Amino acid sequence: MNRLKFIKYSSILSIGGMLIPSAFLSACRKESILDDTSFTGKVIIIGAGAAGLYAGYILKSKGIDFQILEASDTYGGRLGKVEGFADYPLDLGAQWLHGQNNIIGDLIHQTNTKITLDDSDEKFWFNNQLVNTLPKDINALFTREENVPDISFKDFAIQEGFGSEYANIVENIAGDSGAAASRISAYWKITEEENWISGDEDFKFQETYFDFFDKHIVTSIREHISLNTIVNTIDYSKDKIEITDSNNLKYTADKVIIAVPITILKSSDITFTPALATSKTTAFSKIGMDAGMKVFLKFSTNFYDENIIGGSICAAYADEKIGKTGNSNVLLAFIMGDQAAHLTSLGSDSAITNALLQELDEMYDGQATASFISSYVQNWTTKPFIRGAYSYSTVGMGDARKIAAESIDKKIYFAGEAMNLNGHHQTVFGAAETGYREVMNLLNDLSS
Amino acid sequence: MKNILSILICFFCITKIHAQELKGDLSYQYMYAKQWDKAIQTYNFSRPTITNKQPLFMHGASISLSYIFKSPKHLKHGILLSYSNFYSKATNLNSSNLLVLHFMKLGYLMHYENTEKMKGLYIEAIFGANSSALYRNLNQSAFIYDDTHSKAFSIGAEASLKIGYYIKLKNNFYISPFVCFAYAPYVYSPNTEVVINQTKSLSSKNWTSILNTQIGMAFHFKNNQ
Repeated sequence: MNRLKFIKYSSILSIGGMLIPSAFLSACRKESILDDTSFTGKVIIIGAGAAGLYAGYILKSKGIDFQILEASDTYGGRLGKVEGFADYPLDLGAQWLHGQNNIIGDLIHQTNTKITLDDSDEKFWFNNQLVNTLPKDINALFTREENVPDISFKDFAIQEGFGSEYANIVENIAGDSGAAASRISAYWKITEEENWISGDEDFKFQETYFDFFDKHIVTSIREHISLNTIVNTIDYSKDKIEITDSNNLKYTADKVIIAVPITILKSSDITFTPALATSKTTAFSKIGMDAGMKVFLKFSTNFYDENIIGGSICAAYADEKIGKTGNSNVLLAFIMGDQAAHLTSLGSDSAITNALLQELDEMYDGQATASFISSYVQNWTTKPFIRGAYSYSTVGMGDARKIAAESIDKKIYFAGEAMNLNGHHQTVFGAAETGYREVMNLLNDLSS
Repeated sequence: MKNILSILICFFCITKIHAQELKGDLSYQYMYAKQWDKAIQTYNFSRPTITNKQPLFMHGASISLSYIFKSPKHLKHGILLSYSNFYSKATNLNSSNLLVLHFMKLGYLMHYENTEKMKGLYIEAIFGANSSALYRNLNQSAFIYDDTHSKAFSIGAEASLKIGYYIKLKNNFYISPFVCFAYAPYVYSPNTEVVINQTKSLSSKNWTSILNTQIGMAFHFKNNQ
């Protein structure tokens, strides 16, 4: 073989040796996954909250037959809105977009949805006076990353030197996580938040979070939602899964995605046949979900600060007008955990309102009652198919979320904010993530 | 980057007298990183509004510089620095999403050539460390949240095998077409999914293996003294 031939053949071999496998690999590598599923069965999603709706949205895009069964008379779960109370719409449930680096943030960009950064200032109700700063930096509770004990956040704060004078400030921090400080685990709260990658800035929708979901997610799947359908039993003992509702109507599916609040699973409202494993029910019981409510107080004047932290009746008040186009003076009382349980026990909306006005009067020298117009109480605790705020991590919960989220027999799948394993529980985008995750798991199980 | 290159060029110039060969490569690079594929595939799966899917990191361009120490033996030693660039762009309504991946590799190379037995053929085995930086841009600007550009870094080890053939153009100047196969069994990339799919540990592992093939042209400055 002469030199020229050698060059020629080795070049051809080299190029061929590389390009042929590359071309083959390129053809095998798809930009998306599970697009060409041959699944012709039916999926039933139980719960039309953010997770259930997003799961339906994905199933729709894949051309898979599905139905969403929703117990209440509306969809959205812990998303909701009220119009007419103020001259801008109010979010009854989830309100803030916590960071933009998430799937909802992406959709917001794609749909040109108007959101506004909420960089409002805080004031603290501390030792019976409103102050701009606290004597001790409360952020110290978050910055410690090692040797955080698995004790309640309340005990952890005391251990870190935040005495009783900080109790309501600590309650506000726990309340952000939808919990009473005495029940949420310091260790798990901090550990799970290490996975938080969405960003720390809070944004508000010019309309509402509910409107965003309604316009961009629900629009394409509305006809698949069956409202007022309370699921009582799920029998997955046979090939087909049989679901029975409270009117004894039966539904048959090949796969079921359960996307109800953790409170519904904890209280065994749905009977499973065969019964769920003890490890599963124990995992449900370890995931906390405390009382939660939002009270909107409308005033004739804006006498209050943008955020007031540390009240004993309500640990967090926020000026609702921030980020909205309108003039109504509405102050939001964001009440979680023991404080929400206490206000719920008062028994009426007017009693709740009066308790809040009394506290605000103390903070602002009687200006609250003097300029009060009306209130709107949204008590999520008394909503029969919600029964609380959002999930939190209890002391000693271990890998309860992981166990709770595991599918059963490649038939029953679990979605919802409580089932988010990536640090995004308690959020709408965290719920949406579990929605598409479970559709992915379902399709992967089919292909395997 | 500029500083590193300047230092390297200075190093080459100063030590040229000790060099058997200085070499620059330009090549096309094909990459397969399974976990990064998964992150992009999940991104495309989970966002039905995206009609033009985000492409996988597949095709890139690479440039490298090698310094081979003088030795009378057939097997010589050297060092290599290379830079590769990949990008993935998808333009959709209101959203032009661009992922840019920069790769750097620093390696030790063993260069084997035997003009009697192998004519102009040479073989190189390269062992080195690679690192990458992934950035996300949205609508022609950096995607910023919390005042920070969305980015992820990776680091790993890589082994590669390069085969080329010398073609003499001038006294000390040669060119050589070459192919190169590289494998990085473990590249630690904890935040890649954070940038691509905006989740952590949902769609992919915090590390990936990477398979690379390259085809290109090398330019050799040989010291024949």
